[in-house]
Amino acid sequence: MSSYFVIDLVNTLLSGLLIGSLYAIMALGLTIIQGVVRIFNFAHGGMSILGGYLTFMFLSGAGFNLIVSMILSCLLMFVFGLILYRGAIVFLVKKPNWEIASVIFLLGLGILMENLILQVFGARVKEIPVFFEDAFEFGFVRINHHDVVLIVFVMVFVLGLNLFFSRTWLGRSIRAVAQDIQGARVVGVNANRTLGFAFGLASAVTGLAGILLASKYYLTPQVGWEWMFKGFIIVVFGGLGTITGAIFAGLVMGLVEALITFYGSQSWVWPAWFVIFLVILLVKPEGLFGRKSASY
Amino acid sequence: MAKQPDRTDPILEVSDLDCFYGDLQVIRQVCFKVLDGDVVALFGPNGHGKSTLLKTIGGIHPTANGSVRFRGQDITQAPVEQRVEMGLVYIPEDKNLFLDMSVLENLCMGAFNKRARKHLATGLQFVFSLFPRLAERKSQSAMTLSGGEARMLAIGRGMMSRAALLMIDEPSIGLSPLLKKTVFEAIRQIHSNSEASILVVEQEVDYPLKLAKRIYLLSKGRIVLEKQAGEINKAQIEKAYF
Repeated sequence: MSSYFVIDLVNTLLSGLLIGSLYAIMALGLTIIQGVVRIFNFAHGGMSILGGYLTFMFLSGAGFNLIVSMILSCLLMFVFGLILYRGAIVFLVKKPNWEIASVIFLLGLGILMENLILQVFGARVKEIPVFFEDAFEFGFVRINHHDVVLIVFVMVFVLGLNLFFSRTWLGRSIRAVAQDIQGARVVGVNANRTLGFAFGLASAVTGLAGILLASKYYLTPQVGWEWMFKGFIIVVFGGLGTITGAIFAGLVMGLVEALITFYGSQSWVWPAWFVIFLVILLVKPEGLFGRKSASY
Repeated sequence: MAKQPDRTDPILEVSDLDCFYGDLQVIRQVCFKVLDGDVVALFGPNGHGKSTLLKTIGGIHPTANGSVRFRGQDITQAPVEQRVEMGLVYIPEDKNLFLDMSVLENLCMGAFNKRARKHLATGLQFVFSLFPRLAERKSQSAMTLSGGEARMLAIGRGMMSRAALLMIDEPSIGLSPLLKKTVFEAIRQIHSNSEASILVVEQEVDYPLKLAKRIYLLSKGRIVLEKQAGEINKAQIEKAYF
């Protein structure tokens, strides 16, 4: 009896690690935009499914292989983010009620994107094929190759992003703009160009997360909203503007979700998300890794 | 290798400058210049436009009328990053430090412009020799610094840019007498060790008067006094304040 318990627990935890990794990368794009541009990207859902649908289009429509499709989708998402920033966000943030204005604009954009995608691709569920078919078996533990690849990919990606932000001039200039925009200007950083790049980067990461989630689960025009809500909860849970916080919170929520799904039932998952959200807002509203002060 | 500054060439020339905050005119027909290699001090009571003037020359605040020429080029419409790349660097009174970065990272960011990146190591060496306290604290977050240390970091970060003209806004404000002395001694060394020209804005008169070649007094947004430093003393300046 107890050996079955251990087997189940280990499998559940591994599952949680996978889900958590996907949630973590899903929250990264939101974190970058919130930390650097200071707005909540309510078009996040639309942007993540766009990444998925672009890959689907390249795979089935153009017949490219998976890697090429993913790279092309991410590049297009980067350009999308750049254009969105230069074409709209730049003007919105100058207005006196910019916080509300940007939320409404992006929410509207998200709805627009969902419906355009619905028009173009139809309502039927789309799938992005798993990267690998087989599974590892270590004694009693069974884990898909695909899942392992996803976890490793996310880990490597997060590490790479970390190096980008800490070791490259461009990455450091993004952090500088996020922390003190006038300080960034006086050392010679082109703030507008840097913000545009950060937005494009966040957009590409979001699209990438969408592709990964779609490969594990499925893709519909509506699924982006669910990803987005979870992303927001993770970002608040982990702490606004901190990437470490987003990763940590994503992993925790993944484990929580896996444990509740296995030991409870699927229907307790969303309540668990919102209960945790409420608790965080009541107990430590700045998030686990966030700081009390409003300044970054 | 080191070019001897030609002391008749203005590195900075401001002509008939007007600046506004909304409808309120803050700078009126200001004309002044900084000769290559000089230290120039700009005095004036609080709220009379000293910071605004520096911000406008630095490119942060828009120019309404008039022109700013740097090294012979008209930079009136140039964006901040272009001015920094050309060697015109503004060190704000607000410091504007990167609070989540370490002292070392802040200093490195000071060398962001392409000219300065190659000289990162020598720049750091110089800053640490001027401000040993920053060396002690180099891995600490900028958030943990005291007021005086933060001021030193702001000046050090400005120095990393290898500017041809460094514009320092109230370097000694809020500092203890000992720190004031340290800061102005550092400015003196910056001037003698590099070819940088320096424009200092201050309320405090003593130290800048000793350092400067030429002084200006800004009152209600206008230049009301322009003298060689040797031709005037503290009492006369303070009298002209009111």
